[in-house]
Amino acid sequence: MAENSSSLWMVSPNRMRLSRLLRMSRRDVLLGGMGTIAAGGLVSARASEPDAQAQAQAQLLSINDPLVKQFQDLSRRLTDRDTLNEWIGAALCTNIVQSGEKRKGQIQALHALLEGGQFASASDFARAAEKQDPAFKDLIHDIMAGWYRGVANGKVVVYRSALMFDITRDAVYPKTYAAGGPFYWTSKPPEVDPPKGRPALSSSKFVVEPT
Amino acid sequence: MSSENLSADVVIVGSGVAGSSIANELVRAGISVIVLEAGPRVDRQHFVENFRNLENKPSYQGPFPSVPWAPHPPDQQTPNEYLHTSGPDAEAYQQVYLRMIGGTTWHWAGCAWRYLPSDFELKSRYGQGRDWALKYDDLEPFYYQAEVMMGVCGPDPAVEDLGSPRRQPYPMDALPISYAAQQFRKLIDEKTPWRVVHEPQARNTRPYANRPTCEGHNNCMPICPIGAMYNGSYSVYDAEAAGATFIPNAVVYKIERDEANKLVTAVHYLDPDKGSHRVTGKYFVIAAHCIETAKLLLVSADDKSPTGVANSSDQVGRNMMDHTGVQVTFISGDKALWPGRGPLETNVIDNFRDGDWRNERGAYLVHMVDDNQVDLATQMAIAKGYVGRELEERIRYLAAHTVRLFSHNEALPDPNNRLTLNKTRKDALGIPHPDVYYKLPEYTVRSCEHTRKVFRELIGLMHGTDEQWTPGYFPQDHPSGSTIMGVDPKDSVVDGHCRTHNHENLFIASSSVFSTVGTGNITLTVAALALRVADTLKKELNHA
Repeated sequence: MAENSSSLWMVSPNRMRLSRLLRMSRRDVLLGGMGTIAAGGLVSARASEPDAQAQAQAQLLSINDPLVKQFQDLSRRLTDRDTLNEWIGAALCTNIVQSGEKRKGQIQALHALLEGGQFASASDFARAAEKQDPAFKDLIHDIMAGWYRGVANGKVVVYRSALMFDITRDAVYPKTYAAGGPFYWTSKPPEVDPPKGRPALSSSKFVVEPT
Repeated sequence: MSSENLSADVVIVGSGVAGSSIANELVRAGISVIVLEAGPRVDRQHFVENFRNLENKPSYQGPFPSVPWAPHPPDQQTPNEYLHTSGPDAEAYQQVYLRMIGGTTWHWAGCAWRYLPSDFELKSRYGQGRDWALKYDDLEPFYYQAEVMMGVCGPDPAVEDLGSPRRQPYPMDALPISYAAQQFRKLIDEKTPWRVVHEPQARNTRPYANRPTCEGHNNCMPICPIGAMYNGSYSVYDAEAAGATFIPNAVVYKIERDEANKLVTAVHYLDPDKGSHRVTGKYFVIAAHCIETAKLLLVSADDKSPTGVANSSDQVGRNMMDHTGVQVTFISGDKALWPGRGPLETNVIDNFRDGDWRNERGAYLVHMVDDNQVDLATQMAIAKGYVGRELEERIRYLAAHTVRLFSHNEALPDPNNRLTLNKTRKDALGIPHPDVYYKLPEYTVRSCEHTRKVFRELIGLMHGTDEQWTPGYFPQDHPSGSTIMGVDPKDSVVDGHCRTHNHENLFIASSSVFSTVGTGNITLTVAALALRVADTLKKELNHA
């Protein structure tokens, strides 16, 4: 058989994504965050998974890497949280750095801003960052999407551990991980008061994607 | 050419719900069966892992990569890598489906509607479209057989009559609807003349057919992680256990007929190495999905049938239909709903499925989607510019209050809405990709306009804000009509038993035979028609 039919359909989405990058999908255009896509990073979708995983592991920044330390400082400030998992942080930092050549320098520059000032909250810091350099907004978006969605560089870095599920776990389960027992869904979930907080950054275009 | 001798009483092309359920019925009646599936044999757990690793979680095709010898549309983007749509409403016909053992029900929502009696008689009752070459009563026993096969739960007709008369109760009790759906139903009851009904679903409300009770993972599409929802693979396993032969990666490209061009004598398939194989049989069933079925008949054109097999009417590939609908997402201003607890689609407003107005505009049904909105809420809140504590409280609020409504709107058969073979783009085996020209019928446009008015009213009743309408029209992945059924061989491809008018031993089991498309999801009707084909074949083969 010309192709190994038992493995081709098993190619993972994170790997498929690399070939998808060439196509500039409607969603990518709508989200507007992709920018110019370089074909140079394309990896054959048929490369074997273990090789790809080993390669990704080898490229992962250490939790002791100074850049990861800076990334964690920024992340704690931008989430208003005192603790964040450092292994997830290292993986997110690695992927954000890989997503664009300016990201590493931006992380260092944003960290310098954090070190140089007193910021009472994530919002205070984010406002100051965008005021200093509008390009920081995209990096902050990346950091927020990384921790809350578990996604960086277009890849799922974590799923169940994404913070969006932590803050909603009294009401819903991550899809495929329900644990409420039969017909749990008939019970009354918690009420949620209208939020009073304001956005810290200027808004970005977002279009709800059809399924 | 292979020297192997592949032969069976019945040769079936396609292993989805239709092909596998026919195979299961026949093999259990002592009839030999070979099923040829273009795509690979697959397993559930890998798709579950693929889903978890998918960045774009709403992408139903995302976890299911296709193989080069049996490509399927990778997504609903226009232009598309495989299904090339054109015409004024090209984007409205950007269907997705799967080519693999088990078929497209790997990612259906389990919605198992019977059609209404009027859906089969649109022409005689309302002067629109066509009548089918069968009546509801002809199909009723097979609807029930399909419901038992799949394991369908639904309401007691004495309490909640869905309009399709039943001789037997549903095999399982109706699924209790979620808190969000309960609140929606209360609102509809109190503030509108309409009603919300339980959606009949091929989903277990108790252990059934060696499959577990639904646990509410909210992931029916793209993949139920535990198999509480029926999909075609279960009929494959049943048929294989009884002795049917399924050959994966077998891409049928030619339908061979006798000298007189009356009987099909064999089908030919290519393996991934382009080796050709001939499979002979007494009867042949094409059960390869609406789009691939028409494509195969057209690809098989030769000197004897220059416009394609079974196509003396020139209707093969024409009359493409769908439930092209309307979709809106908004933020409710009322109490928290927290959609996404339980299965995806459980409740429907069914008041617009039938009425005298069907002489002017198409029918439709409305889903309040019970989809977990946490990821969407997070994306929206980040895009708005929130960070830190403010982001977290905004995500909670949006996840608890985001509502999505969508509709299935009825199309009409229009011969100009047509599938043809692409002249330049081919798959790895050299088989042309499908093209579809699509212009939404005015009948459907008027239906969608009515739906938009109803949606605006619902948004108002829910004190909704931030409404985002999916641009244009929304394909529902219910393609139908490409080998249309009718009594007259001059304007239809198959008769009321799904037998092709041109070839007496060639049947088609697919939504491609639908004469009109009604409003309910198509799968149960596909299964019922397929089981009726199996019944016909059993009678003919056992009497032979």
